[in-house]
Formats: sequence, C-alpha cells, structure tokens
Amino acid sequence: MKTQFSFGNWAIILLALAFFIVPLVITGMFSLWEGGSRYGFSAYQLMFSTTDFWKSLFLSFRLSVETIIVTFVLLVPAMIFVHLKAPQLKPLFEFISNLPFVIPAIALIDGLTTLYTGPSWLISTPNYLVIPYFFLALPYGYRALEVGLTTLDVKTLTEAGQSLGAGWGRIILTVLLPNLRSALIGAILLIFTTVIGEFTFASVLLFHTFAVFINDTGQNAITEAAALSLVSFLITWVFMLGVLFSGRKDAGQLKGAR
Amino acid sequence: MKRRTLLSTATLAAASTTLPRLGYADDMDQLVAAAKAEGTLNVITLPRDWANYGAIMDAFTAKYGIAINDANPDGSSAQEIQAVKSLKGQDRAPDALDLGPSFADIGVQQNLFTPYKVKTWHSVPADMKNPDGLWTGDYFGVVSIATNTNVVPKAPRSWRDLKKPEYKGMIALNGSPLGAGAAFAAVFAAALGNGGSYENIEPGIEYFAELAKLGNLNPAAATGPALLVSGQAPIVINWDYLSLGYRDMAAGKANIEVVVPEGAKPYGSFYCQAIPADAAHPNAAKLWQEFLYSDAGQLMFLEGYAHPARFESLTKRGLIPASLSAKLPPAAPYAEVKFATQEQVAKAQKVLAANWPQMVKI
Amino acid sequence: MIPWLFVGLFLLFVLAFLVAPTAVLVLQAFTGAHGFTLSYMSGLLSFQYRLAFENSILLACASAAVGLIFGALLANAVAAPGAPAFLRGFVTSFSAVAANFSGVPLAFAFISTLGSLGLVTQMLKHLGINIYDMGFSLYSLTGLTITFAYFQVPLMLIIIVPAIDGLRVQWREAADGLGASKWQYWRHIGLPVLTPSLLGAFLLLFGNAFSAFATPFALTDGNIALVTIDISNVLSGNVMSDPQVGAALSTGMIIVMALILVIYSGLTRHAARWRK
Repeated sequence: MKTQFSFGNWAIILLALAFFIVPLVITGMFSLWEGGSRYGFSAYQLMFSTTDFWKSLFLSFRLSVETIIVTFVLLVPAMIFVHLKAPQLKPLFEFISNLPFVIPAIALIDGLTTLYTGPSWLISTPNYLVIPYFFLALPYGYRALEVGLTTLDVKTLTEAGQSLGAGWGRIILTVLLPNLRSALIGAILLIFTTVIGEFTFASVLLFHTFAVFINDTGQNAITEAAALSLVSFLITWVFMLGVLFSGRKDAGQLKGAR
Repeated sequence: MKRRTLLSTATLAAASTTLPRLGYADDMDQLVAAAKAEGTLNVITLPRDWANYGAIMDAFTAKYGIAINDANPDGSSAQEIQAVKSLKGQDRAPDALDLGPSFADIGVQQNLFTPYKVKTWHSVPADMKNPDGLWTGDYFGVVSIATNTNVVPKAPRSWRDLKKPEYKGMIALNGSPLGAGAAFAAVFAAALGNGGSYENIEPGIEYFAELAKLGNLNPAAATGPALLVSGQAPIVINWDYLSLGYRDMAAGKANIEVVVPEGAKPYGSFYCQAIPADAAHPNAAKLWQEFLYSDAGQLMFLEGYAHPARFESLTKRGLIPASLSAKLPPAAPYAEVKFATQEQVAKAQKVLAANWPQMVKI
Repeated sequence: MIPWLFVGLFLLFVLAFLVAPTAVLVLQAFTGAHGFTLSYMSGLLSFQYRLAFENSILLACASAAVGLIFGALLANAVAAPGAPAFLRGFVTSFSAVAANFSGVPLAFAFISTLGSLGLVTQMLKHLGINIYDMGFSLYSLTGLTITFAYFQVPLMLIIIVPAIDGLRVQWREAADGLGASKWQYWRHIGLPVLTPSLLGAFLLLFGNAFSAFATPFALTDGNIALVTIDISNVLSGNVMSDPQVGAALSTGMIIVMALILVIYSGLTRHAARWRK
C-alpha cells in the first residue's frame, strides 16, 4: 500500500502549526514581561502560590467530570436507541442539540431562577452549574456522537449481534460502545474543555470556577492573566493527552483502519 | 388616667421594637453588635482596584472583624439586580449594591430595596440621593483621557487633540457606549465638548464617527488596564478614578498621564449604594453603609481618586490632607460638574442606540 | 420498554431545564406593558438590529466555511493512513483545548499579534508591508473570522476525524485497483460518504460562531453590530436595561437557527440517499 502522506499534508500541518502556536508564544512573551525591558517568572510564581488558583481549578475539574457523567447517562443511551428504534425522532434531537446556541446565557439563568427556587442543597452549591453545563456541551457532545453513530452502521452490527443470540445490554456494552470509542473520546474532550473554559454562568451565579478566577485576575494583574491563560491551556492539554493515551490500549481501533 | 398612660407607653415601647427600623441610624453600638453577630457581609461587583474598594473592604474587616465575600467583581449593574432576584432567600444573597443610577431606578421600580439613611445623610448633595433613602450616591468621577507616555510621548489634552493624525489607531473606550457606563459617559462628554448639552448627545456621536473615519479610534474594548499598560491601545478615554488607579498600578511598568479634557465642560456621573430588601445580613449591610459614608470611608474613596459624595463637606472642614490633594487632578473641573437627570440619560440612551451602529464605523 | 425510558428521561430533562426557560423567554418577547404585542418582534426590523443579524449570519457562515475547509484538510492530514503515529494524539488533544480557547485571552493574544500595534503587524511593517494601510483590520468581520478560526478549525477536526476514520482503506485500495486517481476517489466515494457528517459539522460550526459572545465582545465591542452583543447590552450591561428587546432578539436567533436546520435537514436527506 503506497504511503499517502504527501507533501500537501505536511504543508497543511506546518501552516496550522504557525497559525496556532504564534499567538500562544506572544501571550507567553507578554506573561514574562515585568515592565520596561525586564523579563522574568514573577507572574508565574505569584500565580502558583495563590490558594484560589488550586481551589478554582479543582472545582472546574470536578464540575467537568460531573457533566461528563450526566451526559453519558442521559445522552448516549438515548442517541443509540434513536438510531436503532426511533429514527423518526432524529429531527427532534437535531433541533434540541442546536437550542443551546440560541439561548443567551443570561436569559437561561433568568428563566431557570424564575422557575426553580429549590431545593437549596442543589441551587446554592456549584453542582447546580451541571445543569446549564450539560446543555452548553450538548451541541458538541451530540455532534461527536452523531458522527460516530452515522459512520458506524449501527443497524447491521446490532442485527449481527442479535443473530448470534446477544441481548441488548451485551450488544451495547461489547459491540457498540467499543466501536464508538473515538467518537466517545471526542465527546469527552469537548465536554471537558467546554466546562473548564465556561465563564458566564459561573460568574452570574457567583461561583468561583477556574475561568472566573482567570478573569478576576486579569482585571488587575495583566501579566498574571496572560500567564494564567497559558498555564490553563497547557494543563488542559496535558489532561487531554492523558485521556487519549489511556484509551490507547486499543491503538488499532484509534487509527480506524479495518 | 394613669392606666391609659401606662398602656400608651407600653404600646409605644412595643411598637418601637416591633416596627421595622424607619431607617434612621440612631444607635451605633446596637448596630455594630448586631452586625458582628451576623459575622459576614456579601458584596457584589466591587473590583479591588475600583475607587480603592480593595483597601476599603480590608479596613472594614480590620475594624469590625466582619469578613467580606466579594462576588463577581467584574459584573455589571444588571447582573447585580439579577443576583438579588436569583439568590433571594439564600445565604449568598447580596447585602450591599453599588449600581449605576439607571439601575438604581429599576431597583426602586421593582421594589427590590429597603430604605436606609446613614448618619451623615444630610451632607450628601440632594441630586445624589433618593429622597426616601432607597439609594444614596457614594462617589462620582469625570471622564478623562489616559495616555501611556512610554508609547505616546506627547499626550493629547483636549477633544481637538485626539483628532490629530499622530494618534492613529490608538484611542480606545472602556467598551461599547451601549453597554459600558464609562464609554457612554465618554460619548456624552464628547458631546459637551463639541457643542452639545445634557439634552443633546448627537454632537458626541458625530465626534466619534469622525474619529473613526480618521482611523484614530481603536475598537478593542479597554476594560481593565491590559491594553493601556501594554501599549496596545495607549490612549484610553475612561473614568478618572480608574485611569488614576491604573497609573499607580503601572508604576515601574509604564508611565500613565491622566488629563480631564481641557476647554470643555466635564461630564460626571455617580454610583449608588442600596440595600436589597432580602439581604442575607441586613445589619452588616447597614454598618457597611455607615462606614462608607463616614469621614474615614469617604476619604478612602478619595484616596482611590473617586470624588466622594460628601466631598464638599470634607473640603469645608479642611479634612483633606495636602498630600492627597497633590495627587489629584486640578480641582477646577470638579467644581463645575453637574449631573444629567435620569430623563436626560434615558433620552440620550435612545438616541445613541438608534444612531451609534449607523454612524460610527471603524 | 427500556429504550423508551432512556429517551424519555433525556426529553424530560430537556423539557424541564431548557425548553421551559426558553418558553418563558419567547413569551416575554411578545409581552408588553399591556399584554400581547408584536412591537418588540417588529422592532427587530429596525436598522440597527437588521444590521446585527446580517453581520452575525455573515460572520457565522464565513467562519464556518473556513473551519470546514481547513479543519477537514487538517483532519485528513492527521488521520490519513500514512500519518506519523504521534501526530494524531498531539493534534487531537491540542484541538480539544484550542476549540475552547476563546474570549478575552484569545482576543488579547490576537490583538498582540495582529492588532494595529501587534507584533506580527510590526514585523511586517519592518519588511515594508503595512497591512493596515492595505485595508486589513483585525477589528473587522475579516479579522473576526481569522480569530474565530482559532477555535473553529480545531472543533471541525475533532468532529470529522471519526468520519474520516470510517472511510475504509479497502475502498481506497479498490479504487486504486480500478485505476482511479486521487480526485476521482474523493469525488465519487470519499466526499459522498462524508457529506452528511460535513453538513452536520457545518451546522455545528455555524451555531458556534453565531452564538459567540465573549470573543467578539473583547475584540470589537461597539464597532461591529452583532446580535449576541446587542442582547448583552440590553440584558446584562451597565447602560440600559430592556428585557423584552433581549427576549425578542433571542427569539430572532431561534428563528434563524430553525431556518438553517430546515435547510440542513433537506440537504442531509438528499445526501444520505445512497445509503438506502
């Protein structure tokens, strides 16, 4: 099989590298600026020694894990069954998955707080944010799973499994989900980064998530803010690499060649 | 006879303990004790570097031992109103609000506030307070031009200067005049400096349209000091207290010069303190008000370069130290400041909303 | 029975926490001081809001197109059978983070790079190329499209990579065996198979850009009228407060997205017919 990695592909990758790395490098250069022509790491030292930095990071981390779990429980089974049993519901799901785009955050909060004033164990803790976060991540999670399910030809696989005598649960767990791995991982990545980067809901409902922390710092300490954006980018990236490589034990499936 | 007097005295005594406080600060010690019992104060949208609020909050906590939760420091006045409504009945509900006057009016209309008149109520000017005590102006500022002189050695000093070609691409506002108070004020100030009045904001819009056509206007929103200090937008039209605060904060990094536009009437506006009716810690809230309007509190606003509401009273009694006066811009423009009425502001907002997108194109 | 339980649970959740608040919002758009009124909705036809919708839709289309094309090319480069092994993980993980890098940090990064006093702008000036004199401005729709590309392209990549994976190597080999060129493979096999996913991705990219608020706010606030910024000004600003106008604008956004969805459904049905 001839290698198809042409010069064109390399050109695209290099172009992309330049476009994506340069703004980050410039942000990095600014984060090291200490006034005049002095450069140093003081912004970073200041940042890591603040307790708020770690507290808010852990809160955002926890919220993203909760949102991922809620999405897996509510969305994934529903979508699989729509593909299998109720394709007529697909347009409805398409419409729902695009609704979060058109409802401004501030309006959703207004609506939610007018309609629901309790229970207080939910409303006054940051866990309340999981509800708007589920919807915020919905378009991306939905699309990632939809592409995966469309590509997969769920019907044939299910019929094959059924003809071999497997029940529903077995089919989903051992046939469908493993084959959806790259789509599921894509969904996890998108949900995670959506929640970590989300600012509006948290700030209006007065919770101290990581993005709120970055914004608050940015108002007074500008070089620290630049340092923060860079560090949050890198931390999230490292986590992403972790998720990807932990799913690597089925490296063959990741590459998709069948 | 005796019985009736006894009865009426008893009734009076009962009434004075069961009636809601009519809002007159009568017993400071009782208030301090009640506030300390509550132990916490929830404030909202108070950036630490805005009018010296950071130092004021620290001083309050040091004096009374009451911790302060400052939520959403960069939020807008609209979000404050939203928070009062969303967090009703919760422990996190805001106790004290610092709002733009239009939003203070909205709060009054929607019955969100409880009245309170501080001990020094009488020395707050009449045009800066609600007659029923539902809100009180705390400090005011005027529109100023801040320049990063490391990048721009010759700072512009008037509205005419800003049109010079040497300032191409350099002048930014603190956001959009349709959404940011300081930017809206900038347009109004430009109106005052170019033939307009409190009734007529059009010349201000035309001025910025021209500035945009000349290429001098930079559309990036200069909220916070980043663009000014880094030199990406080296000239920013903003509230004087913010610009002066950035000047101090940038010492060692950049030189900032702050000027109230010369040859034009200054445009000023104030912010309003109000206590929500459903405050989580009402007594702490009242104590906070007393602190802000005390001589010490008002002087702390001045140290943040925001002219306090009781500025005239402080000046008359010679309470402003000479060292502080030296750091402030010249006093002349501040003496001339008159505030636009709410009707004039509402009218200007409508004219602006209809014309700004059409006329100002960068 | 159980399948319907899962679908029902999802729908219930959506109804309670998304649809109900939205219904409250849409109702508000039609409610004036004296009851039902169309004045707020018809107010959307005034110059400033028409301009905002035009700009928002134009920006969303342009940046979705840019994201679609460059994202697909990049995804193809990364997911192609001959690609170096580490590249895929590297690029995918980077993309996940970049897809959510937006708002003030992104705006500041681009202002420092391509702003009127940005580093790249200055460097080009030294080389004799003054991009601002040539008409470019970071603070225009073009500049916004370029800035949006920073999160649109990675988003596209993450979404489309599983679909490219689904293009079986055997099909490519069969085509080669029959003597087809690269272009013929893509035109007759590759693209038709990918089309439903490409359309879905475009829809997502469009919605993503259409609803973007933080980035354009930090970059061009006040200069380019955009629907999301107008909504923020009337619902969450420091100058004016007009909940019904905000509700009307949001309802307008819903109508636009609904129209795009209808077009998308029509196109997908057409494109997927080969599957039957």
